[in-house]
This record gives sequence, C-alpha cells and structure tokens, in this order.
Amino acid sequence: MSEPLVTLSDVSIRRAGRNSPILDNFSLTLAAGETVVLLGETRSGADALARALSGVPSASEAIAGSIRIGNRSSLAGDIAPYKAARIAYWPAPEHALAPNASALAQLVRVVARKLSFSQAEARAEFAASLERLRSRVTIQDLARPAALVSPDVLSWGLLACAVAQSPELLIADHPAGNVAPSVAGALVAACLEAQKRQHFALVCVTPRVDVTRRIDARTIILRSGRMIEEGSIAQLAGEHAHTYTRALFHTQLSPDAAPGRPVGRGEPVLQVFNLLTKGKKADRRDALTFALRRGASLALVGDEGSGRRALMRVLLGFERPAEGRIVFDSVDVGILSSTMLSRLRRRMAVIAGEDGALDPRLTVHDTVEEPLRARLHLTRELLNNYRDAALKRVGLAELDGSRLVAQLGPFDKRRLQVARAIVGAPLLVILDEPWRGLDALARNAMRQLLVDFRKAEGPAFLVVTNDFAVASALAEEALMFDDGKIVERGLLADLVKNPKEAATQRLVTAAKGGLS
Amino acid sequence: MTATVALTTTRPRWQTGVRVAGLAGLGVIALTVALSDMIARAPADRVNVRQVSLPPSAAFPFGTDIAGRDVLSETLHGLAVTSEQAVIAALTTLIVGALGGFLAARLRFRLGYGVRWTAGIFGAVTPLFLAILFIAVTNRGLAPLAAGVAAAPLAFARTFDRASGLASSRHAEFARATGIGALTLLRRDLVYEMRRSLLAIVGRGLASGTIILSTVSFFGFGALPPHRDLGLMIAGAFTTARASGNFSMWWTALFPALALALVILMARLAAGLEDGTRP
Repeated sequence: MSEPLVTLSDVSIRRAGRNSPILDNFSLTLAAGETVVLLGETRSGADALARALSGVPSASEAIAGSIRIGNRSSLAGDIAPYKAARIAYWPAPEHALAPNASALAQLVRVVARKLSFSQAEARAEFAASLERLRSRVTIQDLARPAALVSPDVLSWGLLACAVAQSPELLIADHPAGNVAPSVAGALVAACLEAQKRQHFALVCVTPRVDVTRRIDARTIILRSGRMIEEGSIAQLAGEHAHTYTRALFHTQLSPDAAPGRPVGRGEPVLQVFNLLTKGKKADRRDALTFALRRGASLALVGDEGSGRRALMRVLLGFERPAEGRIVFDSVDVGILSSTMLSRLRRRMAVIAGEDGALDPRLTVHDTVEEPLRARLHLTRELLNNYRDAALKRVGLAELDGSRLVAQLGPFDKRRLQVARAIVGAPLLVILDEPWRGLDALARNAMRQLLVDFRKAEGPAFLVVTNDFAVASALAEEALMFDDGKIVERGLLADLVKNPKEAATQRLVTAAKGGLS
Repeated sequence: MTATVALTTTRPRWQTGVRVAGLAGLGVIALTVALSDMIARAPADRVNVRQVSLPPSAAFPFGTDIAGRDVLSETLHGLAVTSEQAVIAALTTLIVGALGGFLAARLRFRLGYGVRWTAGIFGAVTPLFLAILFIAVTNRGLAPLAAGVAAAPLAFARTFDRASGLASSRHAEFARATGIGALTLLRRDLVYEMRRSLLAIVGRGLASGTIILSTVSFFGFGALPPHRDLGLMIAGAFTTARASGNFSMWWTALFPALALALVILMARLAAGLEDGTRP
C-alpha cells in the first residue's frame, strides 16, 4: 500500500479566549489522488482545519497534534513542510484577493512564486491552465481590479491558479463561495477533471450540500469541532445516517417543489409596462411587461448579466428606466415627486442576501423600530410591542436589543431584515437571493420564515435569484431572463418540468444537478 | 513528524486607555482653569519692580519675569485665557466644519461637491494664515472664532467625505427604497456618527485651536495685556531674550510652553490620537 499523502492525528485547534476547542481530536488519512469533502456549517471547525492544512492558521489559533504531509514533514512549529509539499489553495472568490489590484496580476504572482517562474512564464502557465479548464472565462476578463470582477469569473481564475501550480494536494476552501448552482456545478466538474489529469489529492471544505453531492466522494460531516460521521454520499443521504446529517441533506431544496398553480388573484400590486433598463442598447422588442397581483409571488430567474438585477435596481428606484412605466399600488411612479415616491415606497420591503443591507451602526432594536418611527407617531409602549412581536416571530426575541448589527452573524442579520419588513406591513417584498451565504440549516429556517410571513401578512413576493430551487421554494410563477430580456415565463412547475429555452434548461439542470 | 503551531494574539485596547487619560488630563486642566484666580498668588499682569528676573526658587517656583510678574500666576492666568478661547475655537470647528460637512453632503450632487471643492482649497492653505487673514478683516477680539474657522475646512472635508460615503452606502439605498426619508437618514447618520466621533472632533479642534491661537498671539495678532495668553507670554520671553542677546531667563518661556504642550497633548489623547480618517 502506498504511503498516505496527508496524515492528521488527533489534531485540535483552540482559539484564544475560547474554552472549547474549535476542532477536537480530528484524525484523517488521505492518499495521493484521493478526494475527501469536509461538510460543515459555520463553527463546525472545517474552516480552521482548512487553514491549518494550508499552513496559514489564523493568528489567534493554536494547533496541537500531528500533521504529516508526505514524507517531508519533519516539522518544528514552522510552515517549511507546507512549502516543501506542493499544496495549492482554492479559496472562495469573496475577499480572496486585494480589491484594488488587478486580479490577473495577483493570480499570476501566486503561480510565479509557487513555481519559481518569471512573471511571463507564470502568465503563460496560468493562461494554459485557464484554457484547459474549458470555461468561457478569458485571461482578459481577469485583467481588472479584483473588486470589479464578478465572483463567477473570479472563481474560475482562482481554480486555474490552483491547478496551474501542479499541486500534490489541492485544498478547496469554500470553493464555490456563493456563486450560482450552475457555475458551482461547472467549477466542480472542471476541478474533478483536472484532478484526473494531474492526480492530485483534493480536500474540499464546504457548507454546501449541492457541492458535496456533485463531488460525490468520501465525505466527513463536522459539527461544533467534532466529526459526526464519515461515508459516501449514498450512505450519508440515506435513511440510516446520523440525525444531523439527515437534517443537512434534507434541507437541500428541489426545484420540483414548486406548486402547480398560482396564488393571489387580487388587484395588481406591481405592473411593469414596456420597460427598458439602461446599460444595453435599447431594443423595443426586448421591453419588459408583467404584473404581480396582491399576495402572489413571482420569481425573476437568470444568470449573472441576464438583466434581472438591472430590473430589480429600477424597481427599487436605484436607477431610472430608459423607457416604460412602473405602476405600484395603482400609482404611476414615474409622475411622482421624490417626496410622494418616498411615501409610496413605504409599502415596499427588501430582504437582500448581503451583509450591507442593514446599517451596521444601528442596534437590533433601532433597526426594527426605524420604519415605525419614520412613518407613525406611536407611543413608546406600542412601539415596543410591535418591535418585540416582530423579533419574536423571527426567533430573535432573546437577542440583546442593544447589540449592534455589525456584531451579528449572517443568519441573525437576515432574520432582522425579515423583522424590519414585518413591522412595515408591506404590500410588496423584494427578495434578492434571500439565503445567499447561509448554512444549510439556516437556509431551511429562512425559507420557513418567509413562507410563514407571506402566509400571515399576505404581501406579494418578487424573488430575484439565479437558482430555480430558491424560486420554487418561494414563488409560483417565474420570468426567465437571458441577455437582458424575458425568454420564458409561466408557472414554475411547468418551467421546471418542460424548460423550452436553453438558458432555462441550463439553470434547471444546475438546480437539479446537486440532487442527482 | 509533528507540527505544533502555537500562535496567540491579543488585541490592544490602547485607544480607550489613551482617551481616558486624555479626558482625565483635560478634566484637571479645566479644574485648574476654573480655580485659577484662587490658586494664583497674584492677579493677572501685576508688576513688582523689586523682584524682577528672579529664577525659580521656593518663593517663586516658576520665577519672575523682567517686569517682576510671578510666572506661575501668569501661567495660570494665561492657561485660563488660552483654554477658554480654544473651547470657543473647537465649538466653531465642530459647527462650521463637522456639522457643515454633514449637511453639505446631502445637498444636490454638484452643489455639494462644489462646496466640498471650495473647502478643499481653503484646507490647502495653512490654518494659521487663514486665521490671521480672518483677524485682519475683522478684529483681534474675534481671534477664537478665527482659529475655529481656520481649522474648519479640514474638518468639513473629512465629514463631507464620510457623510457622502454613508449616503451612497448599500444600507442607505435599501432604506430609501423602502420609504425611509432623507431626514430620518440624516438624523441616523448624525446621531450615530456624532456619538462615535464627537470626542475626536472636539479633541482635535481643541488641539488645533490652541496651536492656532497661541501662534497668532505669538505673532501679535491675538490676545493683548492684561489678558495675556500663553502665546503672548512666550512672545514676551522671546522679545526679552532678543533684546538682551542671551536666553538667560529661560523660565519665562519654558513654563508657558510646557502648559501649552500639556493642553495640546491632553486634547490629542482625548481624541484617541486618531489620524483623522474619521470625522
């Protein structure tokens, strides 16, 4: 039997100021060319393990135990063996690179340093690697400041950079980040193909069940620093798995879950007539027309650059349309003064899958109270009652109200957005990738929260997403966007069952891909 | 074959300690100023021709000057004059600079940036020159206001940049999209930013006000006897040294200068030694 490439024996990781270890007595053996997936949510210890394996632990982490890499790891508390073993690191696109420097220059510099190449040689190697991945991304797409490169494109660049280093071991640390299922699927497929070609060992750390299913290899479930169980996808997704594992796997949503008939047959709450957004050459044949009735839910589905986000920005008033009319609650918003428009918008709420959606300086209580204070003259007692009721409904009643938003985790922030929406009693809620960046269990809780909110309060939902599974969980009808125009529309159940357009087929396949 | 990496970091909380020390120092200075007439052994500008140019001794801890004035008493009176004027200057900087910057950031795009551009031009001029110019076109009684106005352009530019960043932030966009009005957003920004930055703004204003006021007095554009401030005391010591051709009466300059340095240091410490990246 060949010598294992990586051997971890009783590795524990402790963080300064915490009593319990973030990873407790973890052991692992990995042979050359083998794949292992570490599936764990936030605080599972998987992130810390990825950092330790990469030789770049956080400054506040103390690692104990034995880490052996190949036969070269005679370690004495330094990172020399990590340099000796050819380890490549494939991080999530968010915050992976310095935002203001060219993404291409940064990636080429990594390849040059790892392979001791000149810049020109490293650039050629990187370009060849990118080409071998057979993505649509070109080297020119990356020759911009990293902050201006989309996460999808950056993910391809990071993967190309990792495989260009001819690694023995590739550590994929949240490799797909928060990118769309279609892109995540393509990235995983390209990585596995490169693995076959280059025969490197792969350690993938991810909280995403869909990514785990796509890799379909030996998987270790981690929770609160401990290994829950280990097995193949077939075993873990089966009925005999640990309760936590089953909960994780059963939280993955299916696009087939879409209801077969629309809900909401009242007056239209939002009507869009012949709308053209700015940024693309105006073609009246591409003008958007649709309506959303009270209590109904409509999904705007499309890949990055398809135009759904441009439409959302126009609907939110961030940008003005090039042409067309928007009627909200029977009022043409185009003829309103800014004061009147602001008043009309009070019946609208936004729940966005981004951390910056809430003011980080506000306290929890102020965040929920603000819409009430801005719109109504309520007594302190009434204000407290409304606020506490909303926080209770989203499960944040126990949270210290004086805590700052900046101190909250992503799930709490997301629930706080829902509480803020609840007190506003909106007619329309715009949901922009509502559970992007959340763990599997948090996604499920968030879905239930939103479904209950809609059931109880009856607002119309406009769901902006690139994932048919998300759309199916929250909406009944959908508009499929591609290249700035609507290419298909109808009941979600029909679109998922019989997608006619190529773009729809691609996204439906991607949404189902993680489940097959 | 064993890797044991043990790294720990402790996050320094020096800034809180520095602020507390600065505030405590300013508190002591404020108390000294309030009680200066009681602590000082002689009223301001009292001349005693029988005890001129005495070096520090048990009878006169800070010595006496060429006119026989007790330097300790004069330093206490000068500290009171300088501090009171510096507070006015700091409040002027706060209102004209910081608050003005916040409000200007909410003006229509071109108008707001026009005002910011103008403030940038004034900010590029040395505040001392601005203060002297202001005094020259008004009168020296308005020296505290002049010092505050002279320091205002920099405070204005800082708060404008911060406030315009906040106004175009994602959370502000989302708030506007859901009908939160401009006034509510302005109130939110003012309350939260001022809560975090008020001490820093006032501390920096106090330090810059003290420096500007003392310097204009040193050059003869500020305080006049009998209300001598610390700058004027140092100027007097300098004139004496130049006339006599040596600096044998060092105590007449050293103690006012130390008092001046103490006020500036404490004000900067109270501001948390911030580099001005926040308003």
